[in-house]
Amino acid sequence: MTVPGEWAVAVRAAYDGPPAVAATVHDDGFGLLAVDVPAERWLDAVRLAHDGLGLVFFDWLSAVDELDGGFRLVCHVAAHAPGAVRHLLLRTLLARERPAVDSVAEVFAGAAWHERETHEMFGVDFLRDGEALDLAPLLLPDSFEGHPLRKDFVLASRVAKPWPGAKEPGESAASSRRRPRAPGVPDPGEWGP
Amino acid sequence: MTVSERSALPARSRGVIALVEENCTSCMLCARECPAWCIYIDSHQETVPAGPAGGRDRTRNVLDRFAIDWSLCMYCSICVEVCPFEALSWSPELAPAEPDIRDLLHERDRLGSWAPSVPPPDALDERAPAPKELAAAEKVAARQRRSAQR
Repeated sequence: MTVPGEWAVAVRAAYDGPPAVAATVHDDGFGLLAVDVPAERWLDAVRLAHDGLGLVFFDWLSAVDELDGGFRLVCHVAAHAPGAVRHLLLRTLLARERPAVDSVAEVFAGAAWHERETHEMFGVDFLRDGEALDLAPLLLPDSFEGHPLRKDFVLASRVAKPWPGAKEPGESAASSRRRPRAPGVPDPGEWGP
Repeated sequence: MTVSERSALPARSRGVIALVEENCTSCMLCARECPAWCIYIDSHQETVPAGPAGGRDRTRNVLDRFAIDWSLCMYCSICVEVCPFEALSWSPELAPAEPDIRDLLHERDRLGSWAPSVPPPDALDERAPAPKELAAAEKVAARQRRSAQR
């Protein structure tokens, strides 16, 4: 069984290099270890987790819309051993204007599926040798426009349907003079691209 | 035989949300917190006239409609957590599948019919302090006994 502290030391040692990937390791003492890398060292960092740390189990890869901060690509990898699971979160921040990063499908073949999903949901491009891969839509219909998991994507059902919480206690219909807005749902007039 | 008797589901299973209408004050908290927008509440205000001892007229909310759309509900339990008067609780019964999606909108009579199947809360930990409600109730009972003796 790997003592959590030992695992953090091993991760730090691996990411201090060589090869140096300019990573910062985050350890809050109880949660998952997270490694932040600059976008241009993403592929190296994932390869290091696979080859250097032996994290050969690819769990998932996705993204988080950080609004002005861009898109944070997150990848969870793990290693199974009897009685212990070591795991690690790899993260990188991509520019909002043109989010693109090297594909890690050559390290984990299974990551290609997740990259397709991240591509259609967030509009992140995945590159091989500097060329953006032509990723076919995975879950969305062919004619679908936009990237539904981006925070500026207007959810049609939140615009078309009146909010059931708009009524005050003791009301059967929302009063017309003052219309409280559902938390987290901006006014349709100011929402969307 | 009910679902919870047939299958040994744990007591805290999220089967359906049971409504105790008497506890609901139509405060709208659950409908506003629901991330899936699946709770519909209609209510109106009624005036309770002042008693013979004087005082002022009071208004109170009367529930007209309480409905949960199971086709939207994501079983997150936020409404059950947020209800200040324990009007909502989980029952291990299951909402039946319906051939028509509109039949998954359950009105308050359906939701109320599950209230008897809500299991009692888990027992407190050993050596946990007694619940405050118990002490409060005993205090009230003692006061009533005293005033009855006089």
